[in-house]
Amino acid sequence: MKDVCKPKGHSHECDCGKECLSVIGDRAVIDLHLSPTQPMHYTTLNCVMRKAMRRGCLSIELRGVMGQRYLASTASAPGLYIAVHGTPGNDLGAFLNGPTIEVFGNAQDMTGNTMNSGKIVVHGNAWDVTGLAARGGQILVKGDTGYRVGIHMKEFGESRPTMVIGGTAKDYLGEYMAGGTILVLGLNGIVPVGRSLGAGMHGGRIFVRGKVSPEQLGPGAALSSLNPEDEKEVRMLISDFVKAFGTDVPDDMSEYVKIAPSSSRPFSGYYDKTNV
Amino acid sequence: MIERTDRKERTDRLGMPVRADNYTASRPPGWQGQPGGCGIASCISLKGEKIGGDRIARMLTIMEERENGLGAGYACYGLFPERRDQYCLQFFFDDEEGKCNAEEFLDGRLNIAHDEKVFTRDRSTISPPYPMVWRYFADVPDHREWRGERDLGEEDYMVEIVQHINEKIPKAFCVSSGKDMAVFKGNGYSYEIAELYEIERYSGTMWLSHSRFPTNSPAWWAGAHPLSLLDWGVCHNGEITSYGVNRKLVEMNGYRCTVLTDTEVVTYLWDLLVRRNRLPLEVAAFVMAPSTFQEISLMPPAERRLAEWLRITYKEAFLNGPFSIIVGRSQPDISLIALADRKKLRPMIAGLSPDEGVAYCASEESAIRIVEPDARTWAPGAGNPFIAVAGKGILRRGTEPSFQGVSL
Amino acid sequence: MSDTPSTKRLDHRLPERFVPTINYDLCRVCRRCVNDCSYQALEFRESKVVSSGGCVACGRCIAVCPANCIEVRPVPPQFAPHGNWSERSRRSILAQASSGGVLLSSCGADDEHPAIFDDLLLDAAQVTNPSIDPLREPVETVTYLGRRPGRLEVCDGKVMIREDDTPLIRMDMPLMFGHISLGSISYNAQKALFMAAKELNIVAGSGEGGLHPDFYQYADRICSEVASGRFGIKPEYLKGVAAVEIKIGQGAKPGHGGHLPGEKVTTMISETRMIPRGTDALSPYPHHDIYSIEDLAQLISVLKESTEYRLPVGVKIAAVHNVGAIASGLVRAGADFLTVDGYKGGTGAAPRVIRDHAGLPVEVAIAAVDKRLTQEGLRNRVTVCAGGGIRSSADMIKALALGADVVMVSTSAMIAMGCRVCQQCHRGLCSWGIATQRDDLTARLDSNVAAARIVHLFRAWNEELKEVLGAMGIDAVESLVGNRDRLRYRGPNPKIAEVMNVKHIGEGWG
Repeated sequence: MKDVCKPKGHSHECDCGKECLSVIGDRAVIDLHLSPTQPMHYTTLNCVMRKAMRRGCLSIELRGVMGQRYLASTASAPGLYIAVHGTPGNDLGAFLNGPTIEVFGNAQDMTGNTMNSGKIVVHGNAWDVTGLAARGGQILVKGDTGYRVGIHMKEFGESRPTMVIGGTAKDYLGEYMAGGTILVLGLNGIVPVGRSLGAGMHGGRIFVRGKVSPEQLGPGAALSSLNPEDEKEVRMLISDFVKAFGTDVPDDMSEYVKIAPSSSRPFSGYYDKTNV
Repeated sequence: MIERTDRKERTDRLGMPVRADNYTASRPPGWQGQPGGCGIASCISLKGEKIGGDRIARMLTIMEERENGLGAGYACYGLFPERRDQYCLQFFFDDEEGKCNAEEFLDGRLNIAHDEKVFTRDRSTISPPYPMVWRYFADVPDHREWRGERDLGEEDYMVEIVQHINEKIPKAFCVSSGKDMAVFKGNGYSYEIAELYEIERYSGTMWLSHSRFPTNSPAWWAGAHPLSLLDWGVCHNGEITSYGVNRKLVEMNGYRCTVLTDTEVVTYLWDLLVRRNRLPLEVAAFVMAPSTFQEISLMPPAERRLAEWLRITYKEAFLNGPFSIIVGRSQPDISLIALADRKKLRPMIAGLSPDEGVAYCASEESAIRIVEPDARTWAPGAGNPFIAVAGKGILRRGTEPSFQGVSL
Repeated sequence: MSDTPSTKRLDHRLPERFVPTINYDLCRVCRRCVNDCSYQALEFRESKVVSSGGCVACGRCIAVCPANCIEVRPVPPQFAPHGNWSERSRRSILAQASSGGVLLSSCGADDEHPAIFDDLLLDAAQVTNPSIDPLREPVETVTYLGRRPGRLEVCDGKVMIREDDTPLIRMDMPLMFGHISLGSISYNAQKALFMAAKELNIVAGSGEGGLHPDFYQYADRICSEVASGRFGIKPEYLKGVAAVEIKIGQGAKPGHGGHLPGEKVTTMISETRMIPRGTDALSPYPHHDIYSIEDLAQLISVLKESTEYRLPVGVKIAAVHNVGAIASGLVRAGADFLTVDGYKGGTGAAPRVIRDHAGLPVEVAIAAVDKRLTQEGLRNRVTVCAGGGIRSSADMIKALALGADVVMVSTSAMIAMGCRVCQQCHRGLCSWGIATQRDDLTARLDSNVAAARIVHLFRAWNEELKEVLGAMGIDAVESLVGNRDRLRYRGPNPKIAEVMNVKHIGEGWG
């Protein structure tokens, strides 16, 4: 059995992973290449990260990440910055609550799962189920994403999640969306989104740069053009993207379309309540 | 310190107890098909060169979160160059009696050129019992008869032999029966199985592998993946909800289900559709993961017509439910096929080495990066097959239109 | 034999079964109920609406009363209770002793034996498999009816689709309307069925009464019927339609033909059926040119030749004990589709003894046919349709899971139009205008309204089908057809489960 570290409570102090951790001031570096067990188990890595957070580190640099899961889940330290060098595993930043995570490489599935606030920046691709049920914060992906991205994103009060994808997204983008904004830029020239777009949307909005045909829409979603408020939001999101990745993004608003719910109660009349 | 005086309990990854009795060749009584999650990984040398077993073991074991120690396996293709044209039958025997039973049956029906024990390490962390693992290199005799039929093709004859053994011969189970390939699997973690067979001693042109998270025990060595018939090897992640329908179709066509899992039916479907019905690989993939009628109505006329007739004729071969599968074959060429269901509910990533020498398919990107740090990766689309052939290259990335390359 | 005054004696008068009761406080004395009752069970006497006997609980008066003040009460048993001699058995004997006739009735079997459908539970997906939401993700119910090639041949890497293969009929749902003849039902009722079939994009059976010239506009959704009486069969009846079906039997009356009494053979019926006005329309028990399986093969062949192989030709049989072997024979005789009709199916008129006591439940019949055709390697070459007492979408779904490609419904479509299943069709007095030829009664049924109601019902059933498929993690109906693994049996007799090849509740997968 691989060495795992199963923390037994908040004040858990252990020695696992100590070979990899070095802290100078408020900056921590965790180099997985130095771990005696290869590859390092995700429980050990998460435990070491939590140690660094408890010591008040404001930045944590991870080197040699290879598939470790659940990194920085529920991380809440204000102002914390985490750099990930390598390939993080599934559920990166799940339930994230404030910090910023920057991935220098590709991410895997379920990045930003149910995130509350904070920021995740991926200098590469992210795959399926990115941003599932996000309730706040921002996810920026330079490359492509996969299937079922942004499912059931929601917004409430001031909290409105946003996601910008530089390349493409596949089928079921924004399914069940109840709030938030997704922007797909299609910069690599391929068809930007797939089918069943916004299926079951009842809130939120999706902006796509490029051609979207009506057959691609899922039930409950409708195509329209952008109003001045939308254009303002899109420009803001473009500027976030450019700041993160430095690429050029055409901001001719006529290239963008909007997908929004066709009604807030698209399925009324579907049920019969007779007392038979 | 807690003193334990009773027998050491075997547990899975999460500490849940596992029933102590293991079954090796004979099927456990009351065995039921085991749905569950899994990890799959594969690699193929596009230049026809050799890849060592340590590489596939690294790919699979890094995804250990996907398994719980109740089954894992590897299939290697192109590992017997001196005996490339002979069938390699690799067996599990419960004991000597099973070996005698099988050899008695094979005597006269196949010409055994050579047989040997398959290397396994003496000690392992896997709980006993272990099966005897043995391999036979065989040729099919020119004059052969099966139940009165004299002109059965070589491959159909092999299928009858293998299915008969697995169904009727006690204490013996044939886990692979193809040319220039073999399956190494069992009831343990992916790294335990790699260790048990010393998988790094083998080099092959292509490897498939699988690790499992079944939802119930007891575990059965022969029930682990890859499942194989002739040179078809299948690793499967997911659960087929149309199992009852697919099973009836393969049984109607003479296959006998002995492992009683949905993966077994997937293996037989590839044999039925591609070897017997000669459907091109892209067409067989479409049959198993077809586009919706709405999507079909948007296709150009010739594609639309083919798609409609395929759905009508082969509706019992439609694999419903979430799945990713990797499929290997050695005839006519060593090829790797990867396919995900039409809604892409299970993950599948493809990769290519920078020198375009090796292609990869796996459940997670990290499985590819750990052996090829600078790989270029992409995701094949839903219901869209990835096809790579050793010595030829990637024929299909999995992002093309359904019938590209198929003559209409 | 009718009861003449000499045979009718007071002590053999049978008690009423139902009494319409008026709440006089609310009654507005509009007399609509009296006018609308076609059984003359209500009359206006001494400024009040009173019951005059013979109420059959057809429900018309309740529906038309503007004050909603009528209640039809079943009369409590008038016989001393007996554990073995039920009301019904004593009433039947008393009636027959008076008449000397064969007891006739209509609609489906009225025995109290519960449907096997009610002993079957459906599976659903949990944890190891995701369920699918049909409101947001595609769940396909498209179904094709006709002969299938079994496999497509490949030549030089090209998949060959034979140009001369008979096309199949594409339907939007795995459902069709069974054959109900013009004659057993009215012009307006049949028109409503055809209009609904067109709107739903499914197929409707024409019944054995020929096809009225007005209905040829719906021909591309009609399956015409060649029954033993060969009524109304002219070339257009065969060539202009979507499919042709040879009726060997009907679930409600296996082995029997049909009988439309002369009173119902109006001018319109006589023209459509091509028989003289006022004569009885009799369908013989067997087809007089089919006495063995090779004769059936011959009839199938002549129909295919006559239709130039352009439409599916099928056969309908009643579910009887040897149904598996018969089905296999039908496929080998050339049938492109077969319909199996269970003993609870409806009818316009049938002797009670056959209706209630003969045949096989459709659940077991479907399983037997599916099993046998699979054993013979024939199952994927033919479309299997089945019906007979399908009361709800749950029955339909279970029938699919047992092995039917298409489920056939008739009675439920008529209930959608207003029928209350009062079992009086054979008298031709249907107060809803459905099972009658009287113009005054037929006029009560508005075909457009009736068609809309039928469409509502089956669209809702199709949505319910999708809900269940989604809950099972299946996104296309063909992955449920014959998938008996998704059913479990919970009834009192496990042997039935064994015969149907359905596992018992509590048994797992594999």
